[in-house]
Parts: sequence; C-alpha cells; structure tokens
Amino acid sequence: MGTAQLIQNLLNGISIGSVYAIFALGYTLVFSILGIINFAHGAIFTLGAYLTYALAVGQFGINGLLSGMSLERQLPFALALLVGSVLAGAIGVLVERFAFRPLRNRGADPLLALVSSLGVALVIVNAIQYLVGAEIYTFPAGVYGELPPALMFQVSGHPVVIRTVQAIIFAVCLLILAVVGYLVRFTKFGKALRAVAENPATASLLGISVDRFILVTFFMSGFLGGTAGALVGTSFGVAGPYFGVTYGLKGLAVIVLGGLGSIPGAVLGGVVIGLSEAFVPADYGAYKEAVAFAFLFIVLLFRPQGILGRKQLQKV
Amino acid sequence: MNPVIEVKGVSRSFGGLMALSEVSFAVGEGEIFGLIGPNGAGKTTLFNLVTGLMPVSAGSVELRGKKLTGLSPHRIAERGVARTFQNIRLFKGLSALENVMVAQHARTRAGLFSGVLRTRACAAEERRVERKGWEILELVGLAGRGLELASHLAYGDQRRLEIARALALEPSVLLLDEPAAGMNAAEKHGLTSFIREMAARFRLTVLLIEHHVPLVMDLCDRIAVLNFGELIAIGPPAEVRANPAVIEAYLGAE
Amino acid sequence: MGHFLDNNGFLLVTLVQQALLAMSLYFPLAAGQLSLASPGFYALGGYIAAIVGTLDYFAPWRASLGWLVFPLEWLLAAAASALLALLVGIPALRLRGIYLALATIAFVEILRVLSLNLEITGGAIGIFGVPQLFESRWGYIAVFGPLLVCTLVFGHRLERSRVGRAFRAIREDELAADAMGINTTRYKVLAFVIGAVLAGVVGAMSAPFLNTWNARQGTFDASIAYLAYVLIGGSRSIWGPLFGGMLLAALPEVLRPLKDSRLIINGLVLVFASIYLPQGISGTLARFSPGKRKGALPAGEPQEDA
Repeated sequence: MGTAQLIQNLLNGISIGSVYAIFALGYTLVFSILGIINFAHGAIFTLGAYLTYALAVGQFGINGLLSGMSLERQLPFALALLVGSVLAGAIGVLVERFAFRPLRNRGADPLLALVSSLGVALVIVNAIQYLVGAEIYTFPAGVYGELPPALMFQVSGHPVVIRTVQAIIFAVCLLILAVVGYLVRFTKFGKALRAVAENPATASLLGISVDRFILVTFFMSGFLGGTAGALVGTSFGVAGPYFGVTYGLKGLAVIVLGGLGSIPGAVLGGVVIGLSEAFVPADYGAYKEAVAFAFLFIVLLFRPQGILGRKQLQKV
Repeated sequence: MNPVIEVKGVSRSFGGLMALSEVSFAVGEGEIFGLIGPNGAGKTTLFNLVTGLMPVSAGSVELRGKKLTGLSPHRIAERGVARTFQNIRLFKGLSALENVMVAQHARTRAGLFSGVLRTRACAAEERRVERKGWEILELVGLAGRGLELASHLAYGDQRRLEIARALALEPSVLLLDEPAAGMNAAEKHGLTSFIREMAARFRLTVLLIEHHVPLVMDLCDRIAVLNFGELIAIGPPAEVRANPAVIEAYLGAE
Repeated sequence: MGHFLDNNGFLLVTLVQQALLAMSLYFPLAAGQLSLASPGFYALGGYIAAIVGTLDYFAPWRASLGWLVFPLEWLLAAAASALLALLVGIPALRLRGIYLALATIAFVEILRVLSLNLEITGGAIGIFGVPQLFESRWGYIAVFGPLLVCTLVFGHRLERSRVGRAFRAIREDELAADAMGINTTRYKVLAFVIGAVLAGVVGAMSAPFLNTWNARQGTFDASIAYLAYVLIGGSRSIWGPLFGGMLLAALPEVLRPLKDSRLIINGLVLVFASIYLPQGISGTLARFSPGKRKGALPAGEPQEDA
C-alpha cells in the first residue's frame, strides 16, 4: 500500500470512526447509568437523519402519507442538524418516559427493557415508513452552501481526496466530543453521571433527582444518536427507514470493544472500528460489514471487559 | 487422628490487599469447628476457597489427604463438601422441595433423554429423590411448606431450608456461614441442638462461621480465630476465650 | 377458494414455525442463558436443506432417496447445528447476561455476512426453487405439527426431570448451583445445543416450505422477535413461547385491515405487553387459576418478585 493510499484510508477511517464514536457514546451513557442497552438507539439514529433532511431540504418523495409535500422554509444545514438532533433528543426523552421508566419503577426483569425498547424501535421505524415510504433520500450537493464538494492534494504523486462532508463530519464530531468531555469532566451533571455509573445507590446521597437525571441522559443519548444519523445520512444518503439497524448493531460492537459503560472507551472503540473497516482491502469489500462483529465476538471471548473497561469481581 | 479437612498455608489477595495470609489448620473427623473473627477477617473468603468458588493465591486445601484446590465447585461438592451462604442463596423461584431435590443432583444419574422419555429406571430414581426430599424437609421441620416457593418462606425457614439443601447433597463436611444470623434467642438455642443432632446423625464434620459468641462457645469442639486475614488463635473454647490476643482483637472489641 | 385455503395454510404453518423458534430461544433461557443465536442456526438449517435440495452435486441423493431426502436434510441440519453450537457455545457461555446476548448477536451477524458473500449460499440473491415436500401449504402442517407436539412434550417433561431442575437451578443462581454439585458449564452448553438443534431443524423444514432461502432469513430483528415471543408469552414454562409465538406472529395478520400502520401498532403492543404483562401471558393466566395446578412440582409457577 502506497503512502497516499495509507493516508486516504486513515482519513476515511477517522471520519466514519468519529461518527461511530458519538453514536456509541449515546449507547454507553444510558448503559452506564441504567445497565441496559437501549435497542431503540438505532431507530433514533434513523430519525435524526430524516429530521435533518426534512429541515434542510424540505422536499418529500413520492411515497407515504407526506408524498409530494414540501416545507415552505428550509434551514441552513448547520441549523437543521442542530434542530434535528434536539428533536431526536426529545424523542429519546419520550422513550425513557414511556418505555423504560414504568419498567424501572416496577423493578421488572431487565430483559423486558430490551423488548420494550425494540417495540419503540418498531414504532419509530414504521412511523417513518408510514410518513415518507421506503425510498432513498440523498442530500443535494448544494446543501453546504458555497463549499467545494471535495479537497484534493497529492502525496508522492498520488491523489488523496477529502470529501467536504468527511471534513464536516469530523469537525462536528470533534466539537461534540469536546462538549461531552467538558460536561462529563467539569460539571455537576458529569460528577453525578460518574457517581451513578460507579454505584447507583450513591445518587440519592448526592441529592440528585434520579428520574430527572436519567431524562437528561436520555436527551443527550438521543441527541448524539440523531446527530450521528444525520451525518451518516449526508455522507451516504438516507437509505430507507431501516438503515439504522446495521449502525445500531455496529454501535454495540463499538461499546463492547471500548469497554461497556466506559465513555473514553466508546470513542476509542469507534475510531478503532472505523479505521479497521477503512483498511479492509477493496477485493474483500463485502466483508467490511462483518469487521465490527468479528471484533465484537473476539473481544467478548478474550477480554469481555473491553479495552478500557475494568474487570468486575464477582461477589459471593 | 487423620484430618478430614486440612488447610495448608492458604493465602488470598484481592488486588494487592491480603484477605487471608498463610492460614493453616486441620479439622478432625466428626469435629464441630468454629471460625470467628471481626468483620472482614477473611472467614467467608476461606469458605469460598475451600468450596472452590474462588481460586487461592497460594497454599492448598485437602479433603482426607486429597487436594481440593484447583477443582471446580461442583467437583468439590460431589466429593462431599456442602455449604450454606451468609446471605442465603436459595433457588428462589423453585419450591422448597425442589431446592432439596436439586441438591441430590450429584448423587443421581438420569440424563436428558432418559428424563424426557421417563424410562422405568429414571421414574424410580425420581420417586426416590422426591421421597428423600420430603424426608429431609421433615427433618428440618419444613415438611408442611414443601410446595411453597423458597422466596415465600419466612427468613428463619429460609435458613433452615438452606441447611436442608446442603444435607441433601449427602456431604461428609458441612460448611455453615452464619447460620444464626437474624434468628431470635429461642431459635438460636434450637439451632445449637439441631446442628449437634445433624452432625451425629449424618456423621458430619462441621465448619461454622458465627458472630454470636455464646453459641460458638457452646457448640464448637474447637475454635479458630481470624483477624485481618491471619490465624491468631486456635484451640478449645475455654482456651481461646482466655487468649489475650483474641480478647484484644475480637472479644474486647465487642 | 383454493387460494384462500392456501393462504390460511401458510399462516397456520407460519404461526407454528414461529412458536417453535420461540421455543428454541426458551431452552437456553430456561438455564438462565440469554442467547439470541436462534436465527443463525435457523439460517444454517435452511441453507443445508436448500443446498441439498438444489445443488447438482446432491442430485444422485435426491434421485435415490426420493422423499426420504427431506428427513435426511433435517438430520444433517440437526447435526451441523449441534456441532456449531458446541464450537460457539463452549467459549461463549462463559459470558453472562447481556454479554452473552451480544456475543450471539455477533454470531448471527457474522453468519449473515458470510451467507451474503459465499457462492454456495447464493450470495445476496440466495437460493431459489428449493424442492417442495408437499403440493399445498397445508401439507407442511404434517411436519411442523408433530415437531411442535414433540417439542412441547419434550419441554414439559424436561421441566420435571433431573436435567430440567439443574437448568432451573442455574437460572435462579448459577453460583449456588455450582456449589450444590451441578456442572454448570455442561448444562449451559446442553441447553444452548438443544435450542440450536431445534432452530436448525425448523430452518431445514422451512426452506422447502418457503421455496427459497436467503440472508434475510436470519437477522437480528428475528432474534429480538423471538425474545419478545418468549418474554411476552412467559419464560417460565414451555407454554409461554407457544402462546407468545402464536399470538404475536398472528398479530400483523390480525392488524392487516390497518394496512400501513399495522407495524406501528405491533411495536406499541410490544411496549405495552412488557409493561403490563410482566410475567407473560402464561404466568398471568396461571395466577388466576390457582386450583388448577396439582402434584409436587410447580414448575411453571411465576416468580412474584422476578
């Protein structure tokens, strides 16, 4: 592999890896405080993509209830992304309020939370299908305003291409990671988050309203999932209501690889899997989709606590 | 006297913290042997090491001269070492009778297909297991509650059911982890004679962790005292009671 | 009229098939293991039947065995599933709870990507024209029906046997079961293999029934659907997955008049059932008929504070 190819792969890997990272962060935030996996996270990812598309482009296709309709005003992409993500966060809050909290209050079998969150995923995905059908939506070229579609430069005589959307993805993810890092590290919320992740019983000692705290976490989780979906959607197109399913599963591989419940672990896991996928040779491109799951399986067999997770001692 | 259980220089550390360091003692046939010491002295850890629920960091445990260390818990149980747990670990969703039937697992044979096909031998075995289950429940005074879920039993009954479950394994060594915890004075008194009776009837060697000092002094033939993971005294109750190190570490602190 | 009957036959067989797949998830769960691997073994069994049924290499077998090639396919599927389950199960079953579930999700996804890319599985298109065992859809009830009855009897008797008690003890408290002389690894693997063999055989029966087989047959969504069948039906006895599988698989059909919004309702039903039927349908029914249960072994009793 030439230097140019190497750099190209690195750039591609880091760009997609950073999306995996923020998406997986959404999973891991919820897991670290509730100890459950929110299977609706993939659906919220999808929702974020559709919302951002609707706000930025405002044109619907020829299927579903909204066929042929359009919104009168379109938002600039950045604003659409922000509003779309906030709405996805709000849906996250609703999911917690109506699908998780009743189970938690009753002290139900945690497995039921899996089924309940899958039910929510079904509702979201099929509601999207009901409204706009199963067609593929792609963001038009001019959506970022005046920016050129790609930057190209030469490395030892070979071209390396950075698509504008890749740069945007990377910048947005970096910004989000910085904000999340700040929140977790330096605010009361972050302190509470770490305390609850360590030991849920301490939360009440710290004077935290647990229900409100969990709502905030679900909002952040939904926001992150929605942003990730919107970014992937701008890059590769919004490939129908089910396009979040694969990302939802890959996200699981990411958080396990990094260490279930570990925030830096989710970021590291995302970048590692993004890079690994980017380095799959083109001849075996079809197997790219299996990389994350091979990681997931192998990590679980040999180091279930992940790269950054701590080994849990079993209490007798 | 050939020891039944011999603990040889056993150590266990948790991330650099020594929970037990080089503990050695032997328990003889038919003995009722008490383990006492302040909280965190390493008593339950010692039980976990003997029953294979945790690996030792160093040393070994032998049963009648054969090494137990390194065997998995169910192998150790098969060899006749049964235990109860400090925080009661019954099979809560099973009936009391089923709890006692499960413990006969290692003493029975029925496989997957003979069980499902209900072969003649298997049905006979099943009847035997159930009959024996009732007998053991009768013995601990729970015959009337055999069909109730373990989780529905009163606390004291749960403690007795746990002993019954351990007895159903047909052990030669019984490890009891704080059997009197949560019992009132009358129940504690009853427990003393109950343990004696069981030990005599089933020819058991008993190791017992207990915080209630009068009960231990009354019941045990010998007592070992652990403090911060070290064995600081061992001997008959009267001797241990008089030991200054023990008084300082444990009895004095009460 | 014939068309109408055929559609109903298709539906009925599908319900039985879904109930069987729910049971394939129930067996590991009975031993406390949350395995979502069933769709992987189901897909494997189906591919075996589809390959034996269509590949030229097996033409002599088909010619000489006649219809007996079908039972042979089931046996092959059972054997292959058992083997793969041992291979995957022995290392994977050291994992607990959600970790095991994730490992089995990875297993299913890896198999799916493989089947999408291998030549022998027909790649993304899959395998078409799998030979039929019966002329009408109704006919398949003759194979799925007996399998269902056998599995029910098997599961029901298992609950009241030495091995079944060991499963349930592990489910209640693995560590205590180990300390009581139960070889927990062995029984966890056994439960996993039972589920795998059942899913594999159902797959091998389904390929002729569906006439075609492809990578969409074993997906993550299916894993969770089966889990929903079991939990909503009730996970403490074999009747749970029967009820849950039949009812939930019928739901999209019942809701068919609602057309496009029916899957939304389906999702809502899952959410509400999780919240309002904590012990599943069979557990809830059992609570309202206390006098019904007799004998010494209340195997299917719901746990009050599960």
